[in-house]
Amino acid sequence: MILTGEKIKEEVSNNRIEISPFSSDRITTNSYDLTLGGTIIRYTSKIIDPKEKSEYEEITIPDEGLVLQAGDFVLGHSAERIGSDYYVPLIHGKSGTARMGLFVHVTADLIDIGSHGVSTLQLYATLPVRLYKGMLIAQVSFWVPFGDIVLYKGKYQNSTKPQPSMTYKDFKYDIFKKVD
Amino acid sequence: MILTGSKIKEEVARGTIKISPFSEEQVNPNSYNYRLGPILKVYKSFDGEKSLFEEVLIPEEGYILQPGQMYLGHTKEIIGSSIYAMSLIGRSSMGRYGLFLQVSANLGHTTSEHQWTLEMVAALPIRVYSGMIIGQVSFWCNFGAVVEYSGRYGRLNRPQESFTPFD
Repeated sequence: MILTGEKIKEEVSNNRIEISPFSSDRITTNSYDLTLGGTIIRYTSKIIDPKEKSEYEEITIPDEGLVLQAGDFVLGHSAERIGSDYYVPLIHGKSGTARMGLFVHVTADLIDIGSHGVSTLQLYATLPVRLYKGMLIAQVSFWVPFGDIVLYKGKYQNSTKPQPSMTYKDFKYDIFKKVD
Repeated sequence: MILTGSKIKEEVARGTIKISPFSEEQVNPNSYNYRLGPILKVYKSFDGEKSLFEEVLIPEEGYILQPGQMYLGHTKEIIGSSIYAMSLIGRSSMGRYGLFLQVSANLGHTTSEHQWTLEMVAALPIRVYSGMIIGQVSFWCNFGAVVEYSGRYGRLNRPQESFTPFD
C-alpha cells in the first residue's frame, strides 16, 4: 500500500516520517515534492573501478544554474532531509523533470527503512538541461512494509550532501565473498 | 505492501521465496542484494530486425562497460517467488556510479523463477566483476488471485536477448 498525501502529512506531524524542511504546499496526491540542493558531485576518474575510491570534484550550483549536456552524469541531492522508521520511501522524478529527459536516479529508487538524510540524486541527462538550486526535481512516496522492521545502519546514513559511491568499503569485507 | 528483510528471510526458509545461493549478509532492511553472474552479452550489430550480441565471460580482472553501449548480464542467483511480485533494480551504490541494471523493466512476475537477465547501460566507463554485489530485489504482496506466469523468459537462466517482436 502506498500512502496518500494526507497520510504523509499526518505521519510527518506524528514524527513517523521525517521531511525537513517540510511545507504542506509540496504535498501531492500520493507523494511529496523534493527540491534540488546546492551541491553537485562530478566524477573525475577516467574509469570507475568499484574496488577503488573514485576521484571526484564538488561543484556549487551558481545562481545562473548549471548546464548538463546530453550524456552527462552527476550526483545531486535533495535539499530536504527525508527518512522513516515506519515506511519505505521510493524516489521518483517529477514528470516535468522526466519530460526534459533527466533521470533523477539510475535504477535505484528504493530507500531502506530507517535511512535518514538528504537523498543523493543520480542525475543523468539525455538532453541538455539547466539545473537551478531549489528547483522542483523529484518526489518521494512512502509504502507500508510487511514483516518485522530492522532499521538501516549503512554507510550513507545522515548524508548532508551528495554521497559518491563507497563500494570500495564493501570490497574490504564482502563484495566478492563466495557464498556457495 | 513491501516485505521487510526479516520477512524475506522467513519466506526463504518457508520456501515461498527462492533465492539461491542465499546469504543472510545480503539481506537489507527491505530488499536482498544480488550478485552479477559470470556471462555478459555484448551488443555487436543490428541486422535490421534484431540486435546481435557476442557472449563473453567476465575475466578475473573485470570487464569495462562503455557508455552508449548496451550489455545483457544476469544475476548469479536464481530468484523467484510463488506468492509475491518482485521489483529488481540496481543498488544505490551502483546508481551512484551511473550504472543502470535494467531499462525501465523492473517488474518480476509472481511464479517466475530463474537467473534474471540484467539490461546494463553505463553512464560512465565502469569495471564490473563477476560475483560482485550489484543490485537489489524487493518483494511485494499481491492483491487478487495469482495466475501462473506463462511468458517466455521466466525460466531462462542465461542473459537472454529479446525474442523478435512477433514470433
